[in-house]
This record gives sequence, C-alpha cells and structure tokens, in this order.
Amino acid sequence: MSNLLEVEGLDVRFAGLHALRDVSLTLAPGQIMAVIGPNGAGKTTLFNAISGYVRPSSGQVRLRGHDVARLSPHAIAEHGIRRTFQNGGLFPALTVLENVLTGLHAQTEGSLVDVILGRSRALASERAMIAKARDLLSLMQMEHMADTRAGDLSGGQQRIVEIVRTVASDPPVLLLDEPAVGLSPLARDQMMDIINRMAGEKGVGILLIEHAVELVMAGADRIMVMAAGQHIAEGTPAEIREDRAVLEAYLGHA
Amino acid sequence: MLMQLTISGISQGAIYALIALSLTVVYRSTTIVNFGHGDFVMAGAFLSYVLVVLLGVAFVPAAMLAVVAMFLLGLAFSRGLVRPIRGGPHIGFALMCISAGYVFRGIARIVWGREVLPMPRVFDINPIFIGDLIITGDAIFILSTTAIMLAVFFGVLALTDIGKMVQAVYQSARGAQLIGINVDRFNDFTWGIGAALGAIGGILIAPISLLHPDLGASFLIKGFAAMTLGGFGSLYGAVLGALILGLSEQYAGAYIDSALIDITAYLVIVLVLFLRPHGLFGRKAIVKV
Amino acid sequence: MMPTQTQLLLRTLLFWAVPLLLLALPLVTNAYVQFIANSIVIFALVALGFNFVIGNLGQLAFANTALFGLGAYGSAILVNSFGLPWIVSIPLAGVAGAAGGFLASAAALRGIRLYYLAIITLAFGELMRWLYVHGKSVTGGTDGMGLPAQSLFGFSLTDDRAKFYIFLVVAVLLFKATLNILRSRVGRSVMAVRENEVATASLGIPTARIIVFAFMWSGFVVGCAGALFALHTSYVFPESFGMLHLIVSFAMVLVGGLGSVIGAVLGAAALTILPEYLRSFPGMEELFFGLIVIAVLLALPDGLASLLRKLSPIFVERYYRE
Repeated sequence: MSNLLEVEGLDVRFAGLHALRDVSLTLAPGQIMAVIGPNGAGKTTLFNAISGYVRPSSGQVRLRGHDVARLSPHAIAEHGIRRTFQNGGLFPALTVLENVLTGLHAQTEGSLVDVILGRSRALASERAMIAKARDLLSLMQMEHMADTRAGDLSGGQQRIVEIVRTVASDPPVLLLDEPAVGLSPLARDQMMDIINRMAGEKGVGILLIEHAVELVMAGADRIMVMAAGQHIAEGTPAEIREDRAVLEAYLGHA
Repeated sequence: MLMQLTISGISQGAIYALIALSLTVVYRSTTIVNFGHGDFVMAGAFLSYVLVVLLGVAFVPAAMLAVVAMFLLGLAFSRGLVRPIRGGPHIGFALMCISAGYVFRGIARIVWGREVLPMPRVFDINPIFIGDLIITGDAIFILSTTAIMLAVFFGVLALTDIGKMVQAVYQSARGAQLIGINVDRFNDFTWGIGAALGAIGGILIAPISLLHPDLGASFLIKGFAAMTLGGFGSLYGAVLGALILGLSEQYAGAYIDSALIDITAYLVIVLVLFLRPHGLFGRKAIVKV
Repeated sequence: MMPTQTQLLLRTLLFWAVPLLLLALPLVTNAYVQFIANSIVIFALVALGFNFVIGNLGQLAFANTALFGLGAYGSAILVNSFGLPWIVSIPLAGVAGAAGGFLASAAALRGIRLYYLAIITLAFGELMRWLYVHGKSVTGGTDGMGLPAQSLFGFSLTDDRAKFYIFLVVAVLLFKATLNILRSRVGRSVMAVRENEVATASLGIPTARIIVFAFMWSGFVVGCAGALFALHTSYVFPESFGMLHLIVSFAMVLVGGLGSVIGAVLGAAALTILPEYLRSFPGMEELFFGLIVIAVLLALPDGLASLLRKLSPIFVERYYRE
C-alpha cells in the first residue's frame, strides 16, 4: 500500500499497431526506476500513456490508489504526475524565471478577477511564487540567469531549467524522458546528481528513460526493460546485468 | 426542379473544387494555409478581364496568359515573400498571405474603381434541353473545363514523378530533402500551381457573375468550407467537399430560404468543425492536449 | 538586458505620466486633431485586444473585427432601444464582445487549433457581418444606426474634447487590466500555449480554457472599444467593421510589435496619423496597409517596440512583477 504509482495492465493501440501490451509497474516514494529498451520498445509511449497524452485502451494508472488513467494531461499533471519531454519543452521566448513560474501555475492563488483587478491577494501569492522560483534557481546556481530568454540558453542549461520547472510544484511523481541526452559528461553527472537529490531529499518517485547504460546502472534503484511494447524484465541494476532476456532484447532478433 | 438545381449545384461546386484544390495543394507541400487565396482567385479573374475588355485579346489566349501570369506570381510570392520569413513565427505566413491579398485587392480597386463589372459573354454554346431540364452553355463550359483540369491534375499526380515528389514532401519535408528533392524550389513551384489553379476557377466564374474587388472573401470561405467538409489536406476530399457544398447551397437556397445561399459555407464550417472535426473523409483536425 | 529596479520605477511613472500629460491635450488641439487623437485612443484599444490573441496567444483572430462591431452595435442598441445611458453601455458592450469571443473560440474546447480555429473565427466573423447587414430591423442594415447626443452628469458629450477624457479613462483602465493579466500566471499561460501547448498542459495548465479566455479578454477589450467608437462617430455602419478594418488592425499590431503592449499604442498612433489622406482614393488604403504589413514582416518582424527595447531596457516587457 506504500506504493506511490501503480501502473497495471496498460495497453495502447494505434490504428493497427499494438504499441503497449499489458505493461505493469510500481514505484515507491524516493525510488528511481529506469526504463530501458531498444528504439521502438514503447518507452515514450508508456510515458505518454501515464501522463495522458495517449489514451490507453485498457489498464489503470493509480496515483496513491486513485485512478488517473484517461484524464486529460493537465488534470494528470495537477494530480501530481509531471513529466519532461525528449526534445525539450521550454518556452523559448519567455525568460528562465517566467518558465519556472509556469510550473507553479496551479500553486499560485487569486481568482481571475483578482488578477485582472490587480488585487493584493493575487499579487502576494505571485510574489511568494517568484521568491520560490528564485530559490529553486539558486539551488542550481542559475539565479543569475533568471532574466535570460530560455531560447538563448545552452542545451544543457535548457534541460536543467526544464527540470526545475517540472519539479517546482513538488510533484510526488516525475517522468523524465532522456534528461541527459545531448549533455556533456560533466553536465550529465550534474543532472544525475540533481535527480538523485530529488529522490533522496524530497522523496520524489522518478521514472527515467535513459539510453546511457553506465548512467542507469549507477543511478537507478531499479531497472525495467521493455521490448516491442512489453515489459520483459525488471530488477536491480545487478540483476538486470545478468538477465538473459535483456541481452536477447538488445542483441538477439533486432 | 431537383435536377435543375443539381446541375447548377455541380457547376458551382466544380469552381469551388478548383479553389479548394489549389488551397490544398499549397497546404500539403508547405503546411501554409493561404488566407489570401480568395484574392489570388480574384486577381486571375481580374487579369483575364483586363486582357479581354481593356486590351481586346480573345478569350482563350487571354485566359491562358492570365493563368501563366498567376503561376509566375505565385512562384514569385513564394520566393520573395514566404521564403525570407521561414524562421519566424508560423502566424507570419498567414499575415503575409493576407497582406498580399489586400495588395491585389487594392490594385484591382484602383484600376476598377467602385464599379461592378460584367464580363462579356465568352462562348455562345447552345444550351442542351433534356425534357424540362436546361443545361446552359455556361454550365457546359465550366463543367467540361473543370473535368479536363481535374483529369490532368490527378493524372499527373498518379502517373508522373511529380506525383511521387508531392507525396514525399507531404510525408516529410526533411526526408524529401535527403533524397535529393530541392524542397524550396518545389514549394515555389507548388505556390505557382496553386495560384494558377485558383486563377482558372476565377476565370471560369467571371463570365457568369459580376466582377468586383471584394470577390475574394467569399471564394476563400467557399474553399475553406469545401476543404473542411472533405477533410483538410485531402485532395479528393477537397473536390468531393466542393461538390457537396455547391449542391447544398442550391438545395438550401431553393427549399429553405434563398438567403442561405450566402451563408451555407459559413454554417458548414462551423458545424463540421464542431461536430466532426476531421471532416467527412480526412485526417483529424484536433490536437489532443 | 532586463530593466533594473530604478528603471522599473521609472517605467511605472511613465505609464501614469503619459495619460496625465494627455489630459492637457484638448487645450492645444483644433477640432480635426482632436478627432484624430480620439481615433488613436480607440484604435490603441483595438490593437491591444487584437494583439492579445495574435501576439500573446499566437492564434489568428479574424472574428475580432466583427466583435468590435458587436460592441458598437451593442452600445447603440442599448442606448436607442433600452434607453441606457451610453456610459453604462461600455462595460456591457465589453461583455457582449467577450461572449462573441467565447462563441468564436469555443471549438478550442473540442480540440480545434491553429488553422481550423482561424477558419472558424473567420466564418464566425463573416456570419456576424452578414447579420449586421441583413438584420435590418435591429441594425438598420446597410444604412446603419445613429446614436443620439449623450451627456454625462449634465455635461454634454457632443464635443470631441469632452469625449477624449472618457476615452482616455477607459483606455487607461483596460491597458492596466491587460498588463495585470500579462504579468500574472494567466498571461504567462497564454504565452506558454503559444510557445508549446503540449508542454504547457504538462504543467497542469488547462490550455483549452486558456485559449478561450484569451479570445474572451480580447473580445472584451475590443467590445469596449466598439462602444467608444459608436459615440466617436455617432453612427454605426456595417462597413466600419469590414475587410478594411481587419487589415488595419493587423497592420497596427505588427507595426507596433507582436505581443507588445507598448506596441499597440505605437502601431495605432503611427497608422492612424499616416494614411488619413489616402481615404479619398478607393483601393489606396488596402494597398498601403497590405504593403506595410509585408514590409514589417520582412524588415522589422518585432515592430517598433523592438526599436524602443534597443533604446532602453525600460521598454523590455516582463511577465511577472515583484
């Protein structure tokens, strides 16, 4: 019952294509579970199905026992499952601070009328959120970039800001779709450090798609292996290293 | 009565088909919807009028000249005004198209003045009588020209390399680039074809209706209504949607209220996008968010 | 560069100093200049409303011209048929505009976006204009409808100078309210939808509702402007809300700068003053505004506001406030 996220029998079909078959997984608070598998294994589809961008044809996604499958993406995000995107989801024309503030949207108080009339209730909450956003940025040593346009940042900085934005609302569950892709080795280590801290200090349950095997082996608590839309193996990094099915998925019939 | 309405519905629909088809051609290869297309169509009709009435050229060469001129204009528009703003926001394309349309409209009004002009009758094709049914010479002319144009158009798409290129660019512009298609030039060419096809529609409608600079707005709406009905981006859908639109206008106008001829297209757009956003035959118009 | 604290203070001062200084304007204008000044105030509001959808939300807003008309007709009808004082009709015209904005964009709630949404707003706008022309018993058809002379607290509102003060107050309120929105979570969400709607939804932001809200706010501002316009010209014609008005509005937004609040004022000022004398030549206005938009798209895509930003960071617009 201590499971944070439970995915049970998730099935996704696109016209004629069975993209996800009966996938189940559980995630505990503070746990980092890596999802690996060859291209086309259905990893991103799994993320899309959990976060509501793709409608599962059957199965359940329970957040603290509450079924959220088939809700709209923004409703699922509001419940506390937040995600990042493989090809980056920042708003390039907005500044870094404004980007992080969009992550705090649901936390900001004040009705629409308060906002339009500029009432102090809305302004006070806005101020508190700005302070929070600045704190988060300074944790990442990025406070000096608060007013830089997100589009002007380097690729690595953009990834970090996207993660800051995604965790700003303290979501219990985080889905990270290849957060370290395209990063320098140094930035990668920094990224893994951030991910570990979120799990360790804040107890966030993290699902992580990652191709860099060393990173996964070193950073993840558990690893789930997918191939052809199916969950084929799961275990600790050490167990997965020894698993025949995994080797076959990667090396066998491609 | 019903048959008579059907004939006029189909010949109206034939013209809408050319307009919807020309919008679709450009949309498929460039993902740009030409919000100024109505004025491109008007410009084609206007050019043929200038050639026939002001310069005394015979209709057939005048029409050909106008179509070629519009082809070149479409090409020049793509090269000179669309290419340079590619890096900017997508909304820029729409605004560029709209503005070009206003430029055409302004020029037409400067030359035309405030008058509404009748195009002289072109052909004296004798009407055909089948029982009570009268098929006018204009209808015969429009239908036969459109049929030939559509046959050539779809024939070229189905049987030549151009057709394969069109398909390649529609599937993936980057992929097309990789297999050696010069996508920029291809897009210029597509704009030219779109402008020329639209011009043919305008030239066909000119002799049976009054010409004025504001003609474009209603052409545009009809084209959109046809595309929406047939499914955005579908070539056959555009033709089919246009025929359905032409027929519904005539039927609704005769059996319900004559004012409906004017607003059928608007109603079609609003209703279809609310009830069945992917049109009757097409791909989904909706984004799942 | 972002503005410093001192510069921010200076900017706030500037925001209030401009309308305060303008209070003196009627003392130095002649009748013609005053009329133009009134037009500028109204068109600044039109550009502000248009820009909210085109610039900030990034969707095409073809229906807005018709919504401007809805405000003008709404105001005239409320005054003529219901005997309301004109001043009361202003917010009601705004509400009518917002309701129109809702109808024009409601398809967004069903997942319709970009081109399809633009086409719906186009069809909706054309349908409204058709109603203005054909709804003779209510709108007076092509003859239009007049607005009787108005007064406020015993002061006559027939003189353009007197009108100017009311227009100015309404404009200041609507500009302030729009800035309040833009510098809040709501405004940031509107722009986030423009930048990347999929990512916006992943932050728990209901994007479809944000889109509809943007159209409604745009309609509200433009509707209020319509009520001002009814008094300004004291006569409401369908032609005032026709195709020409559409390109004029687009041109004002672009010349000022897509998404820029200062730009709305600049664009309205520049394009109300410049083409006054073109009006007597048929076709010239369309040609002029069409060419202006093309030129701006090619040469100055971020409009006059981008020049101001280069001049001083005071003019850099921020979407939060501390």
